[in-house]
Amino acid sequence: MDVNPAHIVTVTDFSSETLQSMIAHLEFSTAFEHLVYREAELDAIWTITGFYLRAAPDSDQRRQVNHLHDGAHQAHDLVADGRPREAAAILRRFL
Amino acid sequence: MLSQQENELLTETNCGTPAGQYFRRFWLPALLASEVPAADCPPVRVKLLGEDLVAFRDTQSRVGLVHEFCPHRGASLFWGRNEECGLRCVYHGWKFDVNGACVDMPNEPPEYGFENKVRITAYPTCEYGGLVWAYMGPADRIPELPKLEWARVPAAHRYVSKRFQETNYLQAIEGGIDSSHSNFLHATVDAFRVTDSYVEKVKSSTNLRAKYHLMDKAPRFTVKKTDYGLVIAVRRNAEEDTYYWRMTQFLLPSHTMIPHQKGLSIHGHCWVPRDDETCWVWTMSWNPDQPLSSEDRDAIANETFVHTQVDPVTFRPLRNKSNNYMIDREQQRTTTMTGIHGFAAQDQAIQESMGAMVDRTQERLGTSDTAIIATRRLLLQEIRGLQQGQEPAAAHHGDAYWVRSCSLLLSRQIEFDEGARDLMKAEVYRCS
Repeated sequence: MDVNPAHIVTVTDFSSETLQSMIAHLEFSTAFEHLVYREAELDAIWTITGFYLRAAPDSDQRRQVNHLHDGAHQAHDLVADGRPREAAAILRRFL
Repeated sequence: MLSQQENELLTETNCGTPAGQYFRRFWLPALLASEVPAADCPPVRVKLLGEDLVAFRDTQSRVGLVHEFCPHRGASLFWGRNEECGLRCVYHGWKFDVNGACVDMPNEPPEYGFENKVRITAYPTCEYGGLVWAYMGPADRIPELPKLEWARVPAAHRYVSKRFQETNYLQAIEGGIDSSHSNFLHATVDAFRVTDSYVEKVKSSTNLRAKYHLMDKAPRFTVKKTDYGLVIAVRRNAEEDTYYWRMTQFLLPSHTMIPHQKGLSIHGHCWVPRDDETCWVWTMSWNPDQPLSSEDRDAIANETFVHTQVDPVTFRPLRNKSNNYMIDREQQRTTTMTGIHGFAAQDQAIQESMGAMVDRTQERLGTSDTAIIATRRLLLQEIRGLQQGQEPAAAHHGDAYWVRSCSLLLSRQIEFDEGARDLMKAEVYRCS
């Protein structure tokens, strides 16, 4: 996987591929700018899962997405706190 | 998104708040010098960071900025007489100089010497770039003035306006650095739809913004932390082998610059908290090489771009919330996305529609909001740093502000900071 923490991961869905790319970028992020990009990606995941949850009927998948939505929020706050590797560990639970 | 605690930390700037302390470490634009045009002219009210103040120009042409209310019984000094190097309260005659010293107290026996014991809060001021700037922080931390290009060009090369906005300062800044909104909010209907006639019209344009800005509605963002704040670089696809780059600066604590194209005038803003729910929007247009052109003056007079007409006393825009910004629904149907005339009124309408203070715990951000996220994080870092005793470095490095925004076409192989390095340096060629 091509990982450059100075690039923003394109987040158009919450697939495993997208999450894997985000996790890999979180692992390599150190600078202020990197953390800003990671926060933007997590914001995007939280937004996309939020839109899904508004429309989805009650189901197992909905419950899983709900967990991911909450996990993205937690990971977001960890990145904001300068702890990207802990944020990566949270996302890894959803692979 | 932000937590509630972070949102409060960023947006509350009254006395004693962490962000309020932070803003008070910088020189801030307080009023137009022309609001107090002559020695002993009438005083004017000024509200900054939640504090009610009065500005006056004394007999020696020094500008005083003091708390509005007389320490005696709380009467407003706005009604005061500006006379013989001081502002005299017309209730009982107490008089204060520009430094806040009580220099006369005629209703008390002179032997009591009360006037030597009484002071009113007064803030240091200086005149710079046609504005009166104020420093409202600790006396032993006086910062340097920011070496901003617009403030150092000859007066004929610049135009500065001031308007009152009914929002917290932060959402105004966030509008200023958000490059993607202009593809929608400030677009014509033809440009938004990228119609054939629009493409034909801009095909041979030398104005890069007209030509490329609307062709790629999903720009890519890059941010870089700098000595003065941030440079926000936004990349759009242009020709097959080129990108169209627009570089915006965010300069601490609340200045921004609009990307400019070499040869044209430059524009910028400073967003100063008035209180937590309103702010002053300062807008600057300048040309470092020559006096502003007749086209620039026409754009100002006709409100077509960043300036808008205001009430000369309150500085409230004539197009405002109470008259729905004079929206023209027919124009919206046929010509422009908003039907509201001028970029400034369009920005103000949208930002005020979000409420005085946005609840940022409920936002739905995406990667196009990278600049906004970066600005918030930088401000939070700075505010928390000051809480821990770390003084803001930018406040003491005025030279760091000697920069300029830019926009240009670059080969896809060249990084923006390399390709735009020279264009981002400020240069005043014929500075007086």
